[in-house]
Amino acid sequence: MDRNQSYRNHKRLMKALHFSGLFIVMSIICIPGLWIVLNSFRPTVEIMAKPPVWIPTFTLDHYRAMFGGAGEGGVPVFSYFRNSMIVSVVSTAIAILIGMSGGYAFARYRFKGKNGYFVGLMLFRAVPGVALSLPLFIVFARVGIIDTHIGLILAYVAMNVPFTVWLTDGFFRQIPKELHEAAEIDGCTRWQAFWQVEFPVAKSGVASAAIFAFLTSWNEFALASQLTRSVGSKTMPVGLLDFTAEFTINWGGMCALAVLMIVPALILTFLVQKHLIAGLTFGGVKG
Amino acid sequence: MTRRRLPEWFLLLLPAIIVIAAVVLIPLIFSLYSSFTPYKLTRPSTLWKWVGTYNYEKILTDAKFWAAFGRTVLFLTIALNLEMLLGLGIALMVNKVTWGQRTLRTIIMFPMMFSPILVGFQFKFIFNDNIGLVNNALQSMGFNVALPWLVDGKLAMFSIAFAEIWMSTSVFAILILAGLFAIPRDPLEAAKVDGCTPFQSFRHITLPFLMPFIYIAMTIRSLDVARAYDIVQIMTGGGPARRTELLWTLMSRTGYVDARMGLANAMGYVSIILSVVFTIYFFRKLTAARAQIGMEG
Amino acid sequence: MTEVTLSNIVKFYGKHQALHGINLDISDGEFVVLVGPSGCGKSTTLRMIAGLEDISGGEIAIGGRVVNDLPPRDRNISMVFQNYALYPHMTVRENLGFSLKIAKMDAAEIAKAADEAAGILGLEELMDRKPAELSGGQRQRVAMGRAIVRHPDVFLFDEPLSNLDAKLRTQMRVEIKKLHQKVGNTIIYVTHDQIEAMTLADRIVLMKDGHIVQVGTPLELFNTPVNTFVATFIGSPPMNLIDGVVSGSSTIQLADGLSVPVPASAQGQVHNGQRVKFGFRADNLMPYGHAVEEEGERADLELTVTLTEPLGTETVLFTDLAGTEVQGKMLNPRPVRPGEVLKFRLMLDKCHVFDAATSDAIRG
Ligand SMILES: Nc1ncnc2c1ncn2[C@@H]1O[C@H](COP(=O)(O)OP(=O)(O)O)[C@@H](O)[C@H]1O
Ligand SMILES: [Mg+2]
Repeated sequence: MDRNQSYRNHKRLMKALHFSGLFIVMSIICIPGLWIVLNSFRPTVEIMAKPPVWIPTFTLDHYRAMFGGAGEGGVPVFSYFRNSMIVSVVSTAIAILIGMSGGYAFARYRFKGKNGYFVGLMLFRAVPGVALSLPLFIVFARVGIIDTHIGLILAYVAMNVPFTVWLTDGFFRQIPKELHEAAEIDGCTRWQAFWQVEFPVAKSGVASAAIFAFLTSWNEFALASQLTRSVGSKTMPVGLLDFTAEFTINWGGMCALAVLMIVPALILTFLVQKHLIAGLTFGGVKG
Repeated sequence: MTRRRLPEWFLLLLPAIIVIAAVVLIPLIFSLYSSFTPYKLTRPSTLWKWVGTYNYEKILTDAKFWAAFGRTVLFLTIALNLEMLLGLGIALMVNKVTWGQRTLRTIIMFPMMFSPILVGFQFKFIFNDNIGLVNNALQSMGFNVALPWLVDGKLAMFSIAFAEIWMSTSVFAILILAGLFAIPRDPLEAAKVDGCTPFQSFRHITLPFLMPFIYIAMTIRSLDVARAYDIVQIMTGGGPARRTELLWTLMSRTGYVDARMGLANAMGYVSIILSVVFTIYFFRKLTAARAQIGMEG
Repeated sequence: MTEVTLSNIVKFYGKHQALHGINLDISDGEFVVLVGPSGCGKSTTLRMIAGLEDISGGEIAIGGRVVNDLPPRDRNISMVFQNYALYPHMTVRENLGFSLKIAKMDAAEIAKAADEAAGILGLEELMDRKPAELSGGQRQRVAMGRAIVRHPDVFLFDEPLSNLDAKLRTQMRVEIKKLHQKVGNTIIYVTHDQIEAMTLADRIVLMKDGHIVQVGTPLELFNTPVNTFVATFIGSPPMNLIDGVVSGSSTIQLADGLSVPVPASAQGQVHNGQRVKFGFRADNLMPYGHAVEEEGERADLELTVTLTEPLGTETVLFTDLAGTEVQGKMLNPRPVRPGEVLKFRLMLDKCHVFDAATSDAIRG
């Protein structure tokens, strides 16, 4: 009787601890993001108010200023958004094609030094963006693709390929090789077998690899800040700096741009979360 | 008529090799060369002057460099370990939840989608000593203080680490959670019947099984530890008085502000080696852990 | 005419040699089963016929045409895989019609062919399901349907039944045999299960370590195994083998002072002092009253039963003979307790002798 009772109490205590732990963790994860969103809708005076104002007023001023073009110190958000889109979409598409081809090679072929190639590829991904940005800047300047979409796209393709290889390798590995063999016996060439059978089966996995690559490009700063100079090629992460002046920061405006950056990322991640994990855990390092 | 004479795998890998060679390898070779010159952006002719290992000797004897280097290693070690522990804790808590698990999992992935630079600004805002959320909250609760979060050296380091951990713990939580889902039920139940306490079965069954997943997360993280650069650059720029200077901010200052490319590239090489060492280390651990639980397939 | 000929086929995986010169002639319409323990090279052989593995040496001809370097699609074969390899993103109908679609046949013809195959295999109800929504047996059937749709010259089966449970396996075995009778194509079938081989094959090819050990009809392999490996691999329970030494020219001395005469088939082929293995099947060691054939040479033995395995129509009896555990059989079973002593009768003219050093059968 007593022991049952004490076990029951213990259980109840654990439950309460578990619940409050989760609550705290989730709050810490959510509040910073929500704070950004909230402040994008608050007037600057209120953001700067001392003592702090806790009941927010709602205003669209920051968004109006942001989309209102270059007037009144506005930031050319449209251009930045367009640049980000072009650079991210194109570099993702290319990185996926190249990465998928490499991932397929790792998943389907046996060859000498496979692990070596794989690790080697990954190590190029490990080169810090800042460390690369200095020499890349000079090389690109020589070639004349500084401050162009092409330059940034090239850089992002190279940056995303290794990881795309890792992910797609994982997805193709999960597809039994008998599938393409059956297709070949059914009359396909190897090329047809890939596009008719293996690709459709791995499609959702490839899509999540694509979204991962997209997010990396979408969010990248270290390289973009050096390789882009003008409105014609600056991406949104670099554009955030436009809201900083020597001693002040236009917090409201910056928050509005931040929201514009987060929303697409949020939607995309939501779409692929499941596959992404599968790809990461099944991929890589196995001969 | 001959089939597969050219190695197809090589053809398939070729585009990847070409693009990486062009965009990463060539600049790296260039920077390796320039790290042996006194190259200054403002004086291009200096690129042709060979000074041997002068730059390396210079950084090796530079106390500021060593301070930044040590701080970087310490920062990474602490951050990665904390992220791992917190991630493990979060994953265990979420795994125990019986409803709404999907929603929680999605929420956990939130910070992964944030641009590091955005995280930097976000926490610069939140830790702002004047109008930041933290100080505002403290003051409204009656503490009449304005803690200089980003101005005091120790507090600034704390704030940066907080931002970094906020951003990157998800990777661990999500992957460890995936590992928890994949754990076979039988050994756990067998252990229960054999009289293991919950802690014992965690220690001897769950944890070994989770290790590969933890190392996957570690490997992924070590691939882009340098993302911390964005955060630090925005939050403190390495200040105040270099108290939060990391290898990457030091390098970027040397290269872009002081325009001393040769020296900066030498530092760049040190940072690359650091990343590579971290990555290879975890890669090996990952392979070993996988072999241990027979996952290598 | 679609005979399949393998001449001196060799396969290397890197340094490891998986096949050591396989020679095999398969005639049109024949049902040939490749059988052998796992890792002996059955799948490799089959996959080389299919064009899925490179041929390291030798020549493969299908219908008189050398196909060594042809890709699978140009060999007009079809194959059923162990794990079925159904296309998971296609419905049953699309799975069945896929090869015809690739061959650019028009939709009406494809539909007709798919329906026909579905009719043969009883898949009509399942046509719009995806493979994930099918049971094991149904998947198996779809895989077979996909193979017959294109009317190939040769069917290749790689352990198609090993993922099914025992009952379904027996049932599908019958269906495969019926299918062969209906379509009459050449079939090459790989299995590690000797019962499947015995029941299905016109001719069995028994392989070991990349070599062919014996080729013949099921009964040939059962009755005249060329060596101890065949003797123990084919038939259930496996043939009993007891060590012995030839003494004189017509007696084999077993352990325990027991001796048996050299079987008629081996007489004159042995010499004094030769170490041999004396072999007989459980069917030929039966208690009194169960030995069906009353003719022929017999030896009577009193043996202690150590264990029994009742199977219904017969019971397998375990006992010790000359220090070796051997199995006998009892028809019209009655309960037998371990420890019971029974009078057994060994049919000597059905016994075999193998050379102990080479394991080869000694037969006139
Ligand atoms: N792709 C491969 N690479 C290396 N060795 C292989 C490969 N496939 C099969 N082998 C080896 O060849 C031998 C025969 O294999 P297989 O034909 O699959 O045997 P089974 O008779 O069980 O079907 C085995 O020793 C196997 O280990
Ligand atoms: Mg096999």
